[in-house]
Amino acid sequence: MGARIVVRGLTSLNPNADNQPLFIIDGIPIDNSVNDNASNQRGMSNRAADINPNDIETISILKGAAATGLYGVRAANGAVVITTKSGASGSGLTINAGTSFSAEEINKLPEFQRNYGRGWYGIDDGGVYSASGALIEAQSVVDPSYIFYDNYKNFYRTGGMRDHFFNMSGGKDAFTFYTSVNHTKQEGIIPFSHWGRTSARLRGTAKFSEKFDVEGSVNYSNSGGNRVPHTTMGERLMYWSHTQDIREYENPDGTQIAGILSANPLYNAKYMTYVDDVDRTISNLSFNYKPIDWLRFTYRFGHDFYVDKREEISPGPLGIAGENRSGLSALGFMEQRRFINRVINSNFFATFDKEITPDLRATVRAGHELFETDLNYSYNFGEEFVTPGFYSFSNVTRHVITENTYRRRLIGAYGDASLDYKGFLFLNLTARNDWTSTLPKGNNSFFYPSASMSFVFNEVLNLPNALDYGKLRAAYGQVGKDTDPYRTAATYTTATGFPLNGQVGYVRSASRGSNELVPEMTTTLEFGTELQFFKNRLGIDFTWYKANSKDQILSVPVSNTTGYSQVWINAGEIENKGIELILNGTPVKTNNFRWDATVNFTRNRNMVVDIADGVSDITLLQQNGYVNSHVTMRIAKGRPYGDLYGTSYQRYYEGGQPEGLIYLDKDRPKVIANSGGFAGFPLMNTTNQMVLGNGMPNWLAGIRNTFTYKGVSLSVLIDTRWKIDQFDQYGVWLAAFLKPDYTNDRNDVVIFDGVTPDGQPNDQQVWLGQGLGPDGRDYAAGYYRNIHRVMSENFVYDASYIKLRNATLAYNLPTRWITPLNLKGLSVSASVNNVILWTPWRNFDPESYSTGAGSNATALTGMGYPGARSMFFSLNLTL
Amino acid sequence: MFKNMKLRIFILLIITGVFTSCENYLDVNTDPNNPTAVPVKGLMSVASIRTASNTASMGYHTSYFVQYLAGPNAGGNTDTHQEINANTTWVNIYNVLSNLSDMELMAEEQGAPNYVGAAKIMKAINLALLVDAWNSVPYSDAFFVQTLKPTYDDGQQLYTEIFTLLTDGIANLQQTTTTLIMGEDDFVFGGNLSQWIKVGHALRARYLNHLSKTSSYDPNAVLAAIANGLESNADDAKVTYTNEVRNPWGAVAINQAGLVLDGWISQQIVEAMDGTTFGVVDPRMEFMFSRTQHGTFRGTRNGAGRDPDVVDLRLDASTLVEGTFYADRTSPVLVMTFAEQKFIEAEAHLALDNKFAAYTAYLAGIRAHMDMLAVSAAERDAYINNPAVSVGEEDITLDLIMKEKYVALYLSPETWNDARRYDFNYADMTIPDQLNPDLNGQFSRRLQYPSSEFTTNSDNVPRVNLLDRIWWDQN
Repeated sequence: MGARIVVRGLTSLNPNADNQPLFIIDGIPIDNSVNDNASNQRGMSNRAADINPNDIETISILKGAAATGLYGVRAANGAVVITTKSGASGSGLTINAGTSFSAEEINKLPEFQRNYGRGWYGIDDGGVYSASGALIEAQSVVDPSYIFYDNYKNFYRTGGMRDHFFNMSGGKDAFTFYTSVNHTKQEGIIPFSHWGRTSARLRGTAKFSEKFDVEGSVNYSNSGGNRVPHTTMGERLMYWSHTQDIREYENPDGTQIAGILSANPLYNAKYMTYVDDVDRTISNLSFNYKPIDWLRFTYRFGHDFYVDKREEISPGPLGIAGENRSGLSALGFMEQRRFINRVINSNFFATFDKEITPDLRATVRAGHELFETDLNYSYNFGEEFVTPGFYSFSNVTRHVITENTYRRRLIGAYGDASLDYKGFLFLNLTARNDWTSTLPKGNNSFFYPSASMSFVFNEVLNLPNALDYGKLRAAYGQVGKDTDPYRTAATYTTATGFPLNGQVGYVRSASRGSNELVPEMTTTLEFGTELQFFKNRLGIDFTWYKANSKDQILSVPVSNTTGYSQVWINAGEIENKGIELILNGTPVKTNNFRWDATVNFTRNRNMVVDIADGVSDITLLQQNGYVNSHVTMRIAKGRPYGDLYGTSYQRYYEGGQPEGLIYLDKDRPKVIANSGGFAGFPLMNTTNQMVLGNGMPNWLAGIRNTFTYKGVSLSVLIDTRWKIDQFDQYGVWLAAFLKPDYTNDRNDVVIFDGVTPDGQPNDQQVWLGQGLGPDGRDYAAGYYRNIHRVMSENFVYDASYIKLRNATLAYNLPTRWITPLNLKGLSVSASVNNVILWTPWRNFDPESYSTGAGSNATALTGMGYPGARSMFFSLNLTL
Repeated sequence: MFKNMKLRIFILLIITGVFTSCENYLDVNTDPNNPTAVPVKGLMSVASIRTASNTASMGYHTSYFVQYLAGPNAGGNTDTHQEINANTTWVNIYNVLSNLSDMELMAEEQGAPNYVGAAKIMKAINLALLVDAWNSVPYSDAFFVQTLKPTYDDGQQLYTEIFTLLTDGIANLQQTTTTLIMGEDDFVFGGNLSQWIKVGHALRARYLNHLSKTSSYDPNAVLAAIANGLESNADDAKVTYTNEVRNPWGAVAINQAGLVLDGWISQQIVEAMDGTTFGVVDPRMEFMFSRTQHGTFRGTRNGAGRDPDVVDLRLDASTLVEGTFYADRTSPVLVMTFAEQKFIEAEAHLALDNKFAAYTAYLAGIRAHMDMLAVSAAERDAYINNPAVSVGEEDITLDLIMKEKYVALYLSPETWNDARRYDFNYADMTIPDQLNPDLNGQFSRRLQYPSSEFTTNSDNVPRVNLLDRIWWDQN
């Protein structure tokens, strides 16, 4: 449910940094945080989900420092500028209502073997392992209950959404208004998950005189639902036996029908609840005063307030004799989280707009902004319910409370000047200074300017007839960035369980702040052109950009032996370079029929230019494999962001692996052991972890074709992401449990390709199975568990895709049909999303990853978060 | 006009309000949640508890290696001596060492040598946990972010540091003036400094005893340390847990009771106590693990997983269980006991061929442990008087001492040190089923370094395998 938006590559090296753009609604920034738990991801929404999409009139995305400079530090990742609908004066009353329905289902599952069931060493030992047992075909003769169940398919369900909205707008004399209500309800593809939103909005303007007007809006929403933990579900599905029916999960008395030592994911999903309930009000008020023709004063005040209440319940024992609590919380617990968040924004500016000479027009603006955000977070944990089924903190034997408050303030002063010479030459200059509370005194004031220029050359040059419009652009700009509160000091924190027996207890905080932090600064240079040909039938918009982000503020994981696990530093510089190309065309255009096509291509390259003095590389993130075969995302000087390091097969080099080798060369022969416990099997490279791939895509492209015939339109969007490597952590676990289809060869005798340590071709026959092989040798836990699963190399691979993102068929009914019904408009549409997917990725949709919208670690896909395909129908009418 | 006048005033107010910058407006970055300075006592309280927790945390790994515990499923990673990732244990020990380093400095500044001394003693305990499991570990570069990638100090040199910490710690504790009286913030001894001093000596004996395979082993030095060591069970260094901060073994027992299978008892220790191996039934079993629903004690073979007829996973095999001495949520974790010291004494006397003294200490060790558990006098005496136990001074052997020490140090990581010094010569102890094939049929001799060090400090972390021995365990 969380949607992640990144504009022009990552500007921050910090995998947990918020690289999402700033959301600005009617001139006022709003909060778009995610607030998911790092340890138990629930796919929480970005708070932008509180906005009713039907209220949006326009969305524009600002990229590059020159465009975003004025919005200050929070727009360092770009900005999404939303203008909401408003009423129009003298238009009478317009009523708009609509409804839509959708259904969705999982779009891609891993491929499973269906031949082997529960057991270990190739027999059904009644044990814990889910798919390393007997051959089902043979065993089902002895035990008719030993059959394959398609548990993944049976676990996930068809979800869906229904959305209804109603809005009314109009205006009379000096007043206009817009009002709307919306209700939406979703059922997720994970059973028992749901989410809904109800919102209402009022916006109005009053024009008291030609000189003075007032505008205001208030938006209320309530949203939330039950968030079933997808990661936990993925993990439990993996442990669940191939030969036990997942759908039988509950006894009539409410107790669990468990697996051997594993929780039934359905029982889990039903009873381990995590419900969020968010009440939010966004309001703003703005005054415009225009004392003279060319001068205007504007004051805007914005207030964004929400209370996010979350309650997680994991029931304890029900107290029923013989109840099977495998995989469930031993004692039961409940957690309550409260986020009370308030953002206040005050913005005052004066605008001078004057024609200086008939050829030159100047617009100058100077302003002041003030911003404050306050978050109060409280956390209650209770464990062991004395009376089963009564979920209250009065009913627990252990109760832990913590509360934290955060406050951040910022003052900005800004100015910009735009000059327009004869309508073909434009110059825009901006400058801003911010003073922030979150950086150390002395380093907390920072200035950043920008300049951009554009030249519409068809106005002055004689051009071929085919060219209707031509524009060249150049821009240079900077934007600074501060950090979150309380990162400037080394602190202590209360130890868990304290105060205890009347004693306080402190430990060092895991992250160490620094009083030497300085602001981050991103400098962007860009050039572009816009061209229109053949009577605007073909358009080209091309941009080249380069953005350097310096002095990144980041929390580096360090050796725990330093006394901390993370240290805040300003680290180095990251460079993003790329191109953005948009082609617009109208290949066919007749009276009734029109075909429009848009191609959107972006390519971003990034490079870590520098890290910090004496630091050659930093590990940003790690995801575990088995037996120390973790995969890490590291940054290293001179290499691109997103390199994935992990364990690999040892490759043969005459005279041993060269010193300093870090890139894995998969074309070299593997080294096969010729003695010891692993004789005949490929060996692991124990010298160092190698770069196995890179988690940033080569390029992204989207093609949209729209066909319109009279009132009917068909629009088709195909998206491509090309050459990107991801770590398939879920694949590692599946392999360890011998679930993937490729483990069907488990009873084969093979000779591994490669050479023995002395360089001779390998000719040793080995068996891939577990236990005693046909050759009488004891193969212990077997190839897949002993070798395959511990080589990260097998699980870092290409996650490119081409997908049919969306196809929409819409029909606007002709006026002559609807006028008799007293309608101004009636449209129906049907669309499908994500219905075709091509990818070499073996797991769920490669676009879904378990860390959720708040994280940059998209290359570490985690323990399984399925993607979905969906179908929508909607009806929209205007009175 | 009047309306316009109001407007002008209003706008003027906004302008003045907006541009009148408040001096302290941005002065809000002092963390209201986490202090930058804390009382020494606030560090003492946590460090004293967590020194015990670290002992249990290491014991959670080593108890499989020495076969106190066994995995309920076949082929468990720790059970079969795979390269486990003991990251949590490592991190917890380093955290405590870092906090103790702060505490030591702060106490020095504040003129509180008692706290300096306690910090040093606890540092010695934690550092020894590290060296005994990993040999070389970061120390001189560690704890204060002097570098982001601390280098590793040699294990043998770190033993010198351990002894220095104990010597200096005892000297500090012996100083008579302090600005800060230690009390209930000390969860080990409640501020009793003479007990801290005694345990300092007892620990010296323990670490000197670790050197038994090396040329620097000096049983007389061991005995000299013991002379100033613990005087009775009342001097045991232990932390008693609470429901708020639960005993780590109690947490294991709670999980097991909730069928998150954990804390299953190995066949090795059950058979060593139920008469199978030695022909004597040990009354202490009752205090150490659960009975099956048939009233028996039943262990699980290491590496093999539970037997097929173990159907009820709570009641058909012996496990850690709440209500026993070791595994209740409010049980103590034993850091250094009088019983352990008695067995160290017995070993040192035996090395000097003082058989009578060795035998006396051996019997005293058993008795001390029985008394600690509160075994009834009758059962205690019956066991001790059994001829297989009371063998007479002439027949006292290292095997007997180690056999009894094994029981008395149940769940303690110290037993793994003994096992390696003793080369796993416990009666009937064999390698687990499905042993890690890398080990060529041998017990592992150390822990692999934790994954976090490979990711954050790979330049410095030594490349080792599980058969590489730590410095005092050579040949």
